[in-house]
Amino acid sequence: MSTKIACQHCDYLMSFPVLNPGQCALCSRCGHKISRLKVNAINNLMSYSLTGVILLILSLLFPFMSFTLSGNMMEITLWQAATELYSGPYKLLALGVFAFIVLFPAVILGFILLFLVSLNLFGHTFYNSTLLRLIFTLLPWSMAEVFFVAVLVSLIKLVTIAQIGIGLSFGAYLLFCLCYVKVLTLVDKHQFWYWMDLAKKS
Amino acid sequence: MTQYSSDSAAEQGLASCQSCGKLSTVSNKFCRRCRAPLHLRKPYNIQKTLALLITALMFYIPANLYPIMATEQLGMIESANIVEGVIALWEMGSQPIAMVVFIASVIVPVTKFIILFWLCYSVRFNTHIDAAERAVLYRITEFIGRWSMVDVFVVAILVALIQLGSLLNVRPGIAALTFAISVVLTMIAAMTFDPRLLWDKLESSDQQVTNKLNITKDN
Ligand SMILES: [Zn+2]
Ligand SMILES: [Zn+2]
Repeated sequence: MSTKIACQHCDYLMSFPVLNPGQCALCSRCGHKISRLKVNAINNLMSYSLTGVILLILSLLFPFMSFTLSGNMMEITLWQAATELYSGPYKLLALGVFAFIVLFPAVILGFILLFLVSLNLFGHTFYNSTLLRLIFTLLPWSMAEVFFVAVLVSLIKLVTIAQIGIGLSFGAYLLFCLCYVKVLTLVDKHQFWYWMDLAKKS
Repeated sequence: MTQYSSDSAAEQGLASCQSCGKLSTVSNKFCRRCRAPLHLRKPYNIQKTLALLITALMFYIPANLYPIMATEQLGMIESANIVEGVIALWEMGSQPIAMVVFIASVIVPVTKFIILFWLCYSVRFNTHIDAAERAVLYRITEFIGRWSMVDVFVVAILVALIQLGSLLNVRPGIAALTFAISVVLTMIAAMTFDPRLLWDKLESSDQQVTNKLNITKDN
């Protein structure tokens, strides 16, 4: 039975795909991407996740953007951009924004790193399946790249009325977004669970 | 006529785990690999999707009527809703940005509502619409949902950044909250919907399937 798999989008029954690096398996009925394995996926996942986490932490430490109007300057950190809303009925919104742009991306990258490192060092561990379930549950809720587009929209909205400066954190968050998007292209549900099964067997 | 299409795992009594993708006989009740509950199809998914969509719509209507943010400049308070914000951007001369905000905050949510309602309707009343076409629609809603959050994030940034007391300050409007809730609810609605239902009424003779799995070079 483990030699079969069903498409998550159309339930078409097919043989279990074992891919070589650089290959991609598609459902022959609905075209859904069953799995893809990039060349050098595990090493790249580890290095981009680690770099991404470090950049995200750095982006919380320095000024993110500044705004100058008639000699008055206002400077914010990324932390403030997410949490300045925190008052009255907007508390929920502030928590949501913080989770979508900082917390969830950080947890996802951290867990990917933890999963791959412990798979390499200890083989199968009791927490691996929990880590994987959390990673794939959180993935749709992490909106780092959407936030970056919002930052660009705000910049363009403001340049006509005031002087806008960008801080060190802005660059760090941009680089973090690039790493994060790279990780997204490498993450593959089928492969992650398959790697866990392989570690379990050995 | 059977309940599932003849090529499906469900027809063999096999349930594909929604959490990890492992295939097990449905009598197991829980996935052996990840312990998630097993079902042939997500239980009551049409009802749940519709309930979520209707709730999301109830949050989406005030999101368009009430201001998303208010600007206070030298004692004058000016508030704008989503559409007024887009028009203001357009008149300021930033047409490309106005288009981005318009697509993210108006086109995307409306498209999502229409597609998801339509998919629920087509499954419930078993319309004979090409399953592949509806599958593409489903994938579109899954992909675009998160991008509607752009305007909410813009409000968060402006509220944090523009705090110059009476000279100029920006406050959030209630629509920012209801719009965000509506986006989250439609995202959950899209996840709750089971796209496998689109293929269940398919007759195997409709399909020209040559091989069981399509492995191609990834680019
Ligand atoms: Zn399929
Ligand atoms: Zn499972």
